[in-house]
Order: sequence, then structure tokens, then C-alpha cells
Amino acid sequence: MKMTRFSLTLTCLSVLLMSCGGADEALEPIEVIDNTQEVNEYYASKPDFFSFKTLADLPTNLEWQNGSHLADIGSDKAVKGGTIYSRLQDFPRTLRVVGPDSNGSFRPYILDYTSLSLAGRHPDEFEFYPGLAESWAVDEENKTVYVKLNPEASWSDDVPVTSDDFMFMFFFNQSSYIVAPWYNNWFGTQYLNITKFDQHTFSITIPDAKPDMDNRVLSLGPKPQHFYKELGDDYVDRYQWRFQPTTGPYVIKEKDIKKGISIALTRKKDWWAKDNKFWRNRYNMDKIHLSVIRDTPKVFETFKRGEIDQFGLNLAEYWYDKLPNDDKDVAAGYIHKSVFYNQHPRPTFGLWINSSRPLLDNNDIRLGIHRATNWQLVIDKFFRGDYNRMQTSSDGYGEFSHQTLTSRLYDIDKALSYFAKAGFTERGPDGILVNTEGTRLSFTLSSGYEAYKDVFTILKEEAAKAGLDFRIEVLDGTSGWKKVQEKQHDIHFLALGVGLELYPRFWETYHSDNAYDDAFMEDGSVNPDRKVRVQSNNMEMMASFEMDKMIDQYRNSGDKAEMINLAHRMTELHHEYGSFVPAFYQPFYRTGHWRWIKYPDGFNNKHSNNATQHYVHWIDTKLREETLAARKAGETFEPEINVYDQFK
Amino acid sequence: MFNLNPQTQKKIRRFKEIKTGYYSFITLCALLISVMVAELWVNSRALVVNYEGEFYFPTYTAFHPGTDFGLDYGYEVNYRDLAEKFETDGGDNWVLMPLIPYNPYENHSSTNIYKPEAPSFENKHFLGTDTTSRDILARLVYGTRIALLFAITFMVAVYVIGITIGCSMGFFGGTFDLIFQRFIEIWSNVPFLYMVIIVFSVVPSTFEIPTRIAILLTVMVLFSWTGMTYYMRTETYKEKSRDYISAALLLGASNTRIIFKHILPNVISTLVTFMPFTIVGAISAITALDFLGFGLPAPTPSLGELLKQGTANLRTAGWIVTSAFATLVLLLTLVTFIGEAVRESFDPKKFTVYR
Repeated sequence: MKMTRFSLTLTCLSVLLMSCGGADEALEPIEVIDNTQEVNEYYASKPDFFSFKTLADLPTNLEWQNGSHLADIGSDKAVKGGTIYSRLQDFPRTLRVVGPDSNGSFRPYILDYTSLSLAGRHPDEFEFYPGLAESWAVDEENKTVYVKLNPEASWSDDVPVTSDDFMFMFFFNQSSYIVAPWYNNWFGTQYLNITKFDQHTFSITIPDAKPDMDNRVLSLGPKPQHFYKELGDDYVDRYQWRFQPTTGPYVIKEKDIKKGISIALTRKKDWWAKDNKFWRNRYNMDKIHLSVIRDTPKVFETFKRGEIDQFGLNLAEYWYDKLPNDDKDVAAGYIHKSVFYNQHPRPTFGLWINSSRPLLDNNDIRLGIHRATNWQLVIDKFFRGDYNRMQTSSDGYGEFSHQTLTSRLYDIDKALSYFAKAGFTERGPDGILVNTEGTRLSFTLSSGYEAYKDVFTILKEEAAKAGLDFRIEVLDGTSGWKKVQEKQHDIHFLALGVGLELYPRFWETYHSDNAYDDAFMEDGSVNPDRKVRVQSNNMEMMASFEMDKMIDQYRNSGDKAEMINLAHRMTELHHEYGSFVPAFYQPFYRTGHWRWIKYPDGFNNKHSNNATQHYVHWIDTKLREETLAARKAGETFEPEINVYDQFK
Repeated sequence: MFNLNPQTQKKIRRFKEIKTGYYSFITLCALLISVMVAELWVNSRALVVNYEGEFYFPTYTAFHPGTDFGLDYGYEVNYRDLAEKFETDGGDNWVLMPLIPYNPYENHSSTNIYKPEAPSFENKHFLGTDTTSRDILARLVYGTRIALLFAITFMVAVYVIGITIGCSMGFFGGTFDLIFQRFIEIWSNVPFLYMVIIVFSVVPSTFEIPTRIAILLTVMVLFSWTGMTYYMRTETYKEKSRDYISAALLLGASNTRIIFKHILPNVISTLVTFMPFTIVGAISAITALDFLGFGLPAPTPSLGELLKQGTANLRTAGWIVTSAFATLVLLLTLVTFIGEAVRESFDPKKFTVYR
């Protein structure tokens, strides 16, 4: 007893002492560890996954490709130099690229858009162009991709990139230290083997031969083994504010991190890929300065003062009202406005109906909701006709998208007849339908997108005409996502972002495995004891035995024609099931930029997602001074409002 | 009941003498009454419809489907269109619309695009429309009604709890007083705004909007009653030691009777002078919460939400922020004037050095 009390006092005392120490001191890791041995033991414990061979074992009949026939990505007019000023909505919570809080709006600056994978999809031609790889070969029969690394490739701390960094990538992403279950699952199940032939040659094997199996391997980016020597249980804290060496052109210097205020990226002048085809003439700014400005209206004002160089004008209110063509800075030619029609799989904006909820489990109610939501009105009046109606949940995948299926149009009579079939025939005193038990036809329409809250009030007003009531719940982004991941929603408005992929994915969103644990019995009948599975992307709770069979077939298929056929049949089935009301898509992106920001002649790349994704823009520093001086003196230039519709 | 004692009569006389306060009081009462019957002058439903010789008064009744008036749809009649139709048809049918023929929820645009429109008498959008073409005046009127009702309910609730606990503490004293004092010290240190935000963010949306407003109110009351207890406690301590309380005790009056019948009327002046300021506080709090997006659930009309829209559209739609701001200033000024006047009329010294 005495002992306990003594130790308790001691603990209190030490806590007190610790908290007296400087905050910086406490953050310093106490001991430096070296996990090389642990990593090697892990490799040894999984000999099937991690293999070591010699160059002599490399198959000789491989067809090596290097994408050299593709066109350059940047413009040869581009010049290097200058600082670009931009905004962040929030200060990054961490500089880690994996683990808690890492998947934020800052990650594109240190990972997605600025680091190199083995090879990338060419943003104009869709084929692969080399990044870290010098060449690669696909062996479909053995489901293996062979890669030769560019021997010049190096990390930003001048350590060369080798096959070991790719071996280590698997160790890293499979380990529980990183606290990232998605990565653990993906790297644990979607790859079967990595074989090292020498420092610059290796191969990776995947479970099934998909039409885009090259993408599965070539989109991988390595992890610097020398940097993660200290990877351990305290990874999340230890690496919280350490900048991971990058294979890309921009690094973050310690002095440029001003917590809560701003952060800057600096171009590495001797970047290894600076003269390589596909990489030259890109990443032109010497510095990218990002300040934290929370409110969008404030960002706009800052932009108008010239303290921020570019501002996204996707919203109609900004394009037409707040920065109209007769705005004095636009009319004087100081600010240019550009619209670019791109080709890219579209984010799935729509109403995700939770079909496991009472009433919503009724197909007639769901179809009635389709007919009672007036998206066309929203598009015409709120988006001013700029957007298009989305037709299915998988638009924009070329031949993989269903060609003839269209979304259901707003139709009060049809909505009423669907609702009548489900027993809702009488209108209550407020005009909302009630059934014989007195239940009102009322559902919660929730969303984590505050920017669209006005859309919901329009939908609510229109739905009331068809006797349907929406209770609107606008949440902040994180709680909205949590709600829908926990399957606590009735009807939720959201969009899943989609990458540049060959064909749509179905398993994540429509397979019963992601709706329930053991949804069906062996014979295909519904398992009465099934439990809702949370934290998965089947947010419509779609569970169909038939769908499952098609999805499994689709996942295992390596035949393109069969996959297209399956994709169409699945889209049809999903359409009939009616748990997703397709909303709209934006066929372009728009931006406003000061005169000194320059873009290539055609503005951007066909498959780009936003104006700065591929860093093909540059700054004309002389023009900046000229423009600012002209603005002061009242001189004007030719206004420029450009529409680039070559890919429309 | 109408036999007011001379003391009170004197106070009322003094209150009337203070003109700013008195007229503010009358204006606020008029405002309160007019917003309570807002349906009669700001509404998309007609006041009177005369259709084929029959009179309809749809304001407070159940909805009328279009078929009731010879239209071909089963949802609520659009009375503005109906009025136009009757006019062009030229029969004996007619519709009498309220002064402002819009409700605070409907999107009504004259340009076919939902965007803020400047004030216009022609469209009867007297203060213009907001970002989704909803009538600002309608939203202000209904928003003010909710804010006022909310503030009054808030005040009543806070006072009932504050008085009961404060008086009990003063009256019983001893351990009871000691424990509650400590409890209140802790409780009042819980940051009010954060608690409201946290609690309200976990309230499920499956509740109807009135329920959610009631929850918001409860949470706010729960963290606001403590301030009142200090005053009531000291006042009660003071009164308790007076002879008339001892006399009442000797006569065998119960504790409840002594507190509510004898002590309360004597400390009422403290209470009354605080009331208007509590209301000001409540209106500001609910507006601030709405402004931050944690207040009344969308699409409830509210002053804070309008202010937020206004600040986001300062350059392009100045009329939004102007009307919301003016309303808020007017409301708070009126209540503050009343508060000042009440405080002064309850002041036992008519002429003090502070005047």
C-alpha cells in the first residue's frame, strides 16, 4: 500500500517535471532506433511474398515498354522561377502521408500531384509514361509486371531510389505501426509477391490478371527505407512533423513551416528528373507559398487584392456574379478567366439512399423518391444550366459506362403513383403523404457538404409537391462522412472522388460484403441474422445475390468484352434497384488567374482534374511587376475570357 | 389583481416618464404582436379566396390542393398564380393576398435563376431576396419571431431555475449553500458556447425541427442559469434576517410560502432590471450560433443565417447584410432602452449623483 502511494507520488512528480520542460524538448524522440533487422526478419518470414533472385533469373522473352512515343506534357514556352501564392483551408495536421489525419487537403502538395510513381497515365493519351521506371514489361500469363528503375532516380536527400525501397514499401504498408487499415488491407490482399533481381530491377505479382493490371503496379510509389529506420509503435508521433524525402521536385524546409499560419514548398534546383521527357517544363515555380485562410469569401478578397494568384470559379455565383466579365479587374485585363472542358470519370454526386431503413427498403418508395427530386430545376436555376444531369453511377468511363440508360426525370404524377403502390395515398393537413397507419412520408436528407445546403432546400420544396418531406441535416465534412460510414443515414448527399481509371469499381459500393456480415445463406436466401457492416462504402446498403455474383465475376475477369457486358448489366440492375439518385456532373473546370500566371496554349491536359494538377503553369515574374504597375497607373490590357472546348 | 400597490404604481409612473424606454416598450410590443400573427401579412397562402361563390380562408387551415380551385394538380395551390389566373379569366372569383405574398422557405425568382435580387416593389420583394431567391423580409419576420420567442422562453426558464436555486441557497444557508456554491462555481466554468456546439452536434436529425430547437434551448438554459443564483442568494440572505421573515416563521408559514410569498416580492426589483439584458444576451447568443452554423437547423429562417449570407456576399448583394444588421440593431436597441428605463424606475433614489 505504502509502496503504491510512493510510486504514485513519484509519477505525479515526474509528470510535473516533464510538463515543466520545454515543449520542443518533449517532442524530440527519446531514442533513435534502427529497424533494419526487423525488416529483414519480416522478409524472411514471408518468403512467398518477398523473393530474391539474380538478373540471370529474369525472363528473356519480355516485351519492354517505356512510353517514349508519347508527347511531352508541359509546354516548351514555360519558364522557371517565381513564387506562387495559394491558400489552404486548414493548416495540415501532419506532414506524414500515411496514417491518422494524413488524408487531408494538403496531401496533394506532398504526395498525389508532386511525387513520382513508377509510371503515370499520360493526361492526354491515357497510356503510361515513365516516372521512376525506365522501362517495364507486363507478363499477363503470370500476372506479373517487371520494372527497371531509372538509375538516376533519387530521393530529395540525394539517396538513390532502389528496389529495396519498393520491398520496404510493402513492409511499411503492411505493418500495423502506420495505423492505416485501408493500406494494410490493400497492400496485404491486392499483391502476391515482389521479387528483387538487382538494385534497379524487380517484379511485382498481383492475384488476378485485370485489363488494367499494369496500372495496379505502375501507380505504386516507393517508401524511403533510410528515412523510416525508426519506424515503430510511435510512428504517428515520431513522424508527425518530419518531411519525408520525395522523388518529386518540391521539398519543405523546416524554416518554412509556420504552424497554423503558412507553409511553403521549395523547388529542388538539381532535381534528378528536371530534364527528362514528360517532366521538363513542369513544376516551374521556385516556391509554392500556402497561407491558411479559412473563409472562401475572404480568399476571394485576397485574390482580388493580388495576394493570391489563382481562384477556382467553379461555382456559378463566383463565375457570373462575384467575378463577372465586366468586373473592373477582368475588363482591364489584369485577371484572366478560363473555362476548360476536361474528360475524366465524374465524381458520383447524388442521393445515396440507405435501403436497409424502414420504408426505404421498399423499391416503390425509392423509385418515387427518384421521381420526386427535381435535379433539373437545381441544374437550371441554381447552377444556371452549366452542369449536366448525371445518368448512372458510373458515367465517364467510355465504353464501360452504360450508353443508353438515363436517370429518371422529375414527375409528380409518377412519384405519386409509386408512393400509392407503397400505401401512401392520402395527403395530410400539410400536404405530405400519410399511409393508413398514420406514418408520414418523411426522411432525413443529410450531407456533409455545406456548400450545397441551398440545393437541399430547393429539393425539399419540390419534393413537397409530390407529398414527400425531407428533413434537412447539414453537417460538417467529418461528421457527415462518419454518419454515412456508420450507415446511420436515411438519404445522404455525397460524391465519391474517382481517379483516372479504365473501368468503374462495383465491389466497394454494391457488394453485399460491404453491407452486411454474411448477407446470404449458401442457397442465396437472405440470412436472417445478418448484421450491418459499418465503415465501408456500400452506403446504399445494396445486397443482391445476383449483383454479388456479377461483381465477383467482374473482379475475376480478364476479358475486356466480358467486363463491359457485366458493367452494363450491373449498372442496369443498380438502376432498377433505385438506391442512387444521380444528381449532376460538372463537365469542365473554371478558374480565374492574374495575368502573370501562364498556361500552355491549349490551357491544360485532356484528362486533368483541375488546372494545377499537372503543374504545367508557370509565372512570368516580369509580367507581374508590369501588371501591378499598370494597375496602379490605371493602364489597361485586352481582357481575356477563354473557353477551351477542344475536348468537350 | 388589478389593485397594484402604491409602490408598483409609482414605478410604472416613473417608467412612463422615461420616454425612450416607454416608447421602445410600446414599439417592441407592437412588433411582438405583429410577428406573432405574421401569417396574416407575410405568407404565400391567400387571406381570402372567393371561388364559385364560396369563401375560403386558407391562412391557418389545412392545405388546399390545386384541384379545390379548378387546377389540375394535387399539391398545395400557388395562390399568387391563382390570383393571376382569376384575373385573366375575368370571372367573379378573386383572391386577396397578404401584403408580402411569400413564405420564408420558397424560392421565387424573377429571372429564372436563383441568385440574390435587389429590393423591388414591383416583385413585392421589399427587401430583396437572398442567395436562393427567398424573400428576405419574410425570412426576417419569421426569423425575428423565432428569436424573440426563443429569448423569452429562455429567460423564463433561466429565471425559474435561477430563482429557485438562488433563493433556496440564501434561505437554507449552511451545508446546502456551501455545496451548491461549489457546484455552481464548477458548472459556470464550463465554456457555454463549446458545450452548446458539442451537445447540439450529436443531436440526431431524425427529430422534427421544433424538437431540435427545444433541445438547443434546453442546452442553453442548462449552462446559463448559474449567473442569476448569485444575486438571488445575496438578496435572500439580506431579506431573511429582517423581522417580517421571523414574524412569518413564528406564525408557522412554510418555507415555500416564505420564499415565494414574502421574500420573492421584495427582491423582484433586482430580477426585473436584469430581464431585458438576459433577453439581449439570448438573442445575441442564438444569432451568433446561427452565424457559426451551430444554431437553428436549416432551413429555419434566422437572423444569424442571414448575416452569414450577407457577409459572404458583401460586394454583390449588400442588401442582405444591411437588412439583417438593421433588424438586429433595432431589436437589441429597443430591448436595451427598455432595460435602462426599468432599471431606473426601480431605483429607490430618484436623484443620485450618478444621474
